[in-house]
Amino acid sequence: MSISRRTFLRGAGGAVLTLPWLESLAVGSEALAAQSTLRMAHFYVPIGVVRRGFFPGEQDDVIPKGNLGNVMKSLGKQNPNRNIKPLEQLTPTMQPLESLKTQVNLITGMDRTFQQGTDVHAQCASCYLSSARPYTIEGTAWPLDRTLDHLVADHVGTATPFRTLEFSCNSHRDNKESIYFDNISWYGTGHLAPSIRDPRKMYRRLFSNSEISRSRDITSLVLEDARDLQQELGGSDRKKFEEYFESIRAIEKQMDRLESMKHELSLVDFEEPTEAYLPRGDYIRLMGDLMVTALQTGLTNVATFMVGPERWDTPYMFDGLFDKPRSHHQMSHNQTKMIDDLLKVDQFHMEQFAYLVDKMANVDDGNGESLLDNTLFTYGSGLGDGSTHQYNDLPIVMAGGGKRLKKGQHINLPEGTPLANLWLTQAQVMGVEMKDFADSNGLVTEILS
Amino acid sequence: MTCDGSSWEGRYWRRRCFVICLIILPLLFAGPRSVIAEEPIAGTSQFKVLTEQFCAECHSVDQAVEADLDLSQLSLDDLRKDAEATRRIMDVIEQREMPPEDAPQLSDQQRLQFLEELRAVFRQAIAHGGSGERTSIRRMNRFQYNNAVVDLFDLRCTVFTLPERAMRVHRNYFQPETGKMPEQVAVGNRPLGKSQMIEPRLAGVAAFPQDLRAEHGYDNRADHLSLSPMLMDELLKLGRSITQSPDFHPKQVGIWKSFFAKPSVDQDLGPVVRERLRRFLTRAFRRPADESLVDRYSSFVLSMIASGSDFPEAMKAAAAATISSPRFLYLYEGGSDQSSESSRSVSDFELATRLSFFLWGSAPDDTLLSLAESEQLHDDEVLNEQIDRLLRDRKLKRFCDQFPAQWLQLDRIVSSVPNRERFPSFYFSKYRSSMHMMMEPLLLFETVLIEDLPITQLIDSDFTYRSKKLSQSYAWLAEDGSNIKSTGGGVTVLNFQRIPVSDRRVGGVITNAAVMTMTSGPDRTQPITRGAWIASVIFNDPPEPPPADVPPLPEQPLVGEENLTIRERLAAHRERADCRGCHEQIDPLGFALENYDPVGHWRTEDEQGNTIDPSGQLFREYAFNDVVEFKDAILADPDRFCRAFAGHLMSFALARELGPKDRVALDQITQTVKDDGYKMKTLIRQIILSEPFRTR
Repeated sequence: MSISRRTFLRGAGGAVLTLPWLESLAVGSEALAAQSTLRMAHFYVPIGVVRRGFFPGEQDDVIPKGNLGNVMKSLGKQNPNRNIKPLEQLTPTMQPLESLKTQVNLITGMDRTFQQGTDVHAQCASCYLSSARPYTIEGTAWPLDRTLDHLVADHVGTATPFRTLEFSCNSHRDNKESIYFDNISWYGTGHLAPSIRDPRKMYRRLFSNSEISRSRDITSLVLEDARDLQQELGGSDRKKFEEYFESIRAIEKQMDRLESMKHELSLVDFEEPTEAYLPRGDYIRLMGDLMVTALQTGLTNVATFMVGPERWDTPYMFDGLFDKPRSHHQMSHNQTKMIDDLLKVDQFHMEQFAYLVDKMANVDDGNGESLLDNTLFTYGSGLGDGSTHQYNDLPIVMAGGGKRLKKGQHINLPEGTPLANLWLTQAQVMGVEMKDFADSNGLVTEILS
Repeated sequence: MTCDGSSWEGRYWRRRCFVICLIILPLLFAGPRSVIAEEPIAGTSQFKVLTEQFCAECHSVDQAVEADLDLSQLSLDDLRKDAEATRRIMDVIEQREMPPEDAPQLSDQQRLQFLEELRAVFRQAIAHGGSGERTSIRRMNRFQYNNAVVDLFDLRCTVFTLPERAMRVHRNYFQPETGKMPEQVAVGNRPLGKSQMIEPRLAGVAAFPQDLRAEHGYDNRADHLSLSPMLMDELLKLGRSITQSPDFHPKQVGIWKSFFAKPSVDQDLGPVVRERLRRFLTRAFRRPADESLVDRYSSFVLSMIASGSDFPEAMKAAAAATISSPRFLYLYEGGSDQSSESSRSVSDFELATRLSFFLWGSAPDDTLLSLAESEQLHDDEVLNEQIDRLLRDRKLKRFCDQFPAQWLQLDRIVSSVPNRERFPSFYFSKYRSSMHMMMEPLLLFETVLIEDLPITQLIDSDFTYRSKKLSQSYAWLAEDGSNIKSTGGGVTVLNFQRIPVSDRRVGGVITNAAVMTMTSGPDRTQPITRGAWIASVIFNDPPEPPPADVPPLPEQPLVGEENLTIRERLAAHRERADCRGCHEQIDPLGFALENYDPVGHWRTEDEQGNTIDPSGQLFREYAFNDVVEFKDAILADPDRFCRAFAGHLMSFALARELGPKDRVALDQITQTVKDDGYKMKTLIRQIILSEPFRTR
């Protein structure tokens, strides 16, 4: 573990990256200089949570027994009505947020719709930020449309080197699962925004771009090839091939913007990660530190972060929690036996979220605001429970947003409130003019000040 | 743990769509039904009568939740518009999956009548369905990219070392031109062996991420291969880092002299550059390079030279652009979606590309390209000759690097960790026996291919390849296992020896140590996982996921059930009708293998000390009492396996899921292959000669 990195980040509010630096980053956008840029980040937890440990009032509910396959609803009863209370007594899984509870909202009662046609886990993560109305997307079994992060980035990611960044803390070396289990971010149906699992690779993507400009001359050459080729393709292939142009355009912009940030980036004191094995918590926090730094420096305004892959029942070490490698997925299907262990995993994931919330709260973003004040940072899982595989009553915690949002509440939304309502609300707060999103039917006004 | 594991939850979404279609279609066609008159098929339709008599109890509106499919509203007219649905109903009737065991059964005559009627409907549905599926434009995957770059530059080394190429060749054993696998072979296991990822490659070149295999599919599937700015960025850098690598020099690059080397002084540069680029771009892009393309690249090169670059540098820059160009990176066929029947045939260049990516995992060579140029390749005689040539070429290894391991899902053994205390012999020095186990089915596959053996050998082979270390995993075969000495076992170069198999409990791709281990948990076997594996891999019929609120089988027996065998516990578990349908199919497949413990050793008693009963019935038709009879049962209907295996191969060859129309081709292929003794090369040849392979 690099001490200098830690030291830098602990004091990150201070010396290295201060306001003047940020101001100079407002490349080509006057609006940015005038007011702080609002960012968005999503922290995704795979395979649901133990309901008894997470949700207030469910502590005595029945423990799901084994894999309840497609039960897809809660075993216990939730309050079906709107209810807003101050967030006071935290449940065991929420405990890591104790010192931050005035800065977050717990949101319960949010639902998604599962579209028959894929494995039940296959849509958990992949469609979490999309939740399209079932059967509205043609040619795919997934209700998967352009995801929230990209729609928001279309608006706030136009001046940053990276429109979005995708992080995944998936350390598996076997590739037993398909792309739908390792990604929550999609440009569109069947068009993946691939996540980076390796901190070294992420580091190099963010900070080592000396080579990039050298490929410039050949880009223009291949673009000509691409234009010719497009003429030869039939309709559906031509549509698919758009991804090539989009990619080239994105890289062109990335090169321009990194070039203009060259000096600022050279000031970032972040030691290049080594190849050495990192205990799971350190690995997650290192990835998290990279995300915070990217948001802080303006390398991107939008990030998604998977704390682990969906399903993938290969065991891995949760260093410090268990002696042996354990499979999160397997535990979720054996709650009657392993509920205590699974609760530890849930709490462990919440600790990582709390660490990042705390970190953002301590990064000075200028105007007396912290990075957290200027970021909508949301914890959530695509499942309400890993055994029942329910797509309803999801665990959601939302942090950040500064004065724009009310905080310190437990908001219970009426039964059947689509998760897309929260995404729509977030998009609007982010300044996107959007009247509806996916299967939304309203806004979550309860979070707005 | 019963309903755990990806193979179990995994499934083929198309099957769900089929269910959806069945539910929605009757509604869609409720109105115009009177317009589309019910066309009587020869004789009176028995469809309504039989479904009402045998299916309605579960498959009706009231029961739709339980059965997921409502037959009461479904007419033959609906089916005439849905080949997939019709095929699916035919399958369950043909394979005796339906009606379920304890329900009244169709008589043989009724079954035949029912099927005959459905077959006619199926043919109509196919005709109605138009041109069928087509493979869409797709990026090369990482493996194909590596090979295509190696071939384009004629590199003497690899671009990246790829763990997905599990079995490494040592001492040159792979010689398909001889038609014979050597008695002794030396291999390495890239993902699990020692230092097997160290091999000659281009320094300073970093691989892009592995492309993941589709669920119940392959890693070349068009719908899973897209491009992102991040990957584009990597590919652009890659083009440069390959051509700028210190290892990219005249000795390593076969085409150096003819492409990169500076022409002699007395030559006019312009025409030389153009000519070199024309040939190079044709090979790279797998189709003729037109004038404007050659112009573009040559003016790029000439302007670099004019501004001071030396000749090889300028050519390297053009080469870097070439391998970043979409024309190199993407596999595609030109033309519109709705082509007329006549223009649906792929062009000769496209055929060359399909052929070489299927069998060589790479771009076509000069021979294929010149046959395409002279428009001879589509000629059956020429095509047959080329198939022979490709199958005898050492580049066939790339087919063996991809297809068999993905077909068998062998990557799953990479993460198998049997309980160290119960199975200490699985571990040796710092390694796992799986390193050796994984090679066995792969060597069997290569032998069946190279020696053109019947594919039935894949089920029940009379030979196998074993290393000394692997023989320990089969020590139970010997009368007295103690005479097999514990050897250290290789960890780098693994020496395998071909041996005859007389004990039919081993041999074939099913009952080997690798598959038995990877379909088990650390402590106990997982019969359902094994059953699901057989259903998916051997019969190409992956099970659907468990239905709603399945009472699970606890990890440990319940009070009062301690003495039950796992079979008895599972029987109690599937008393519900909605579980039964599926489990009646997959459970017997897994139970048949209960004699193999979690590391593939033979046993006669389970963990509770109960005698194992592997008996059962395959497709409710072929009874078996032990695993040898189980293999007999599979081979009692070799067409079924042949068709399933052909389906896997075709899906791989076409880089897409198969549709109903492809099934017609599979039937024809199966017939031809059967007539030729189920030979492996005949099967591959028939896939290439089939209509789906030769049309878009």
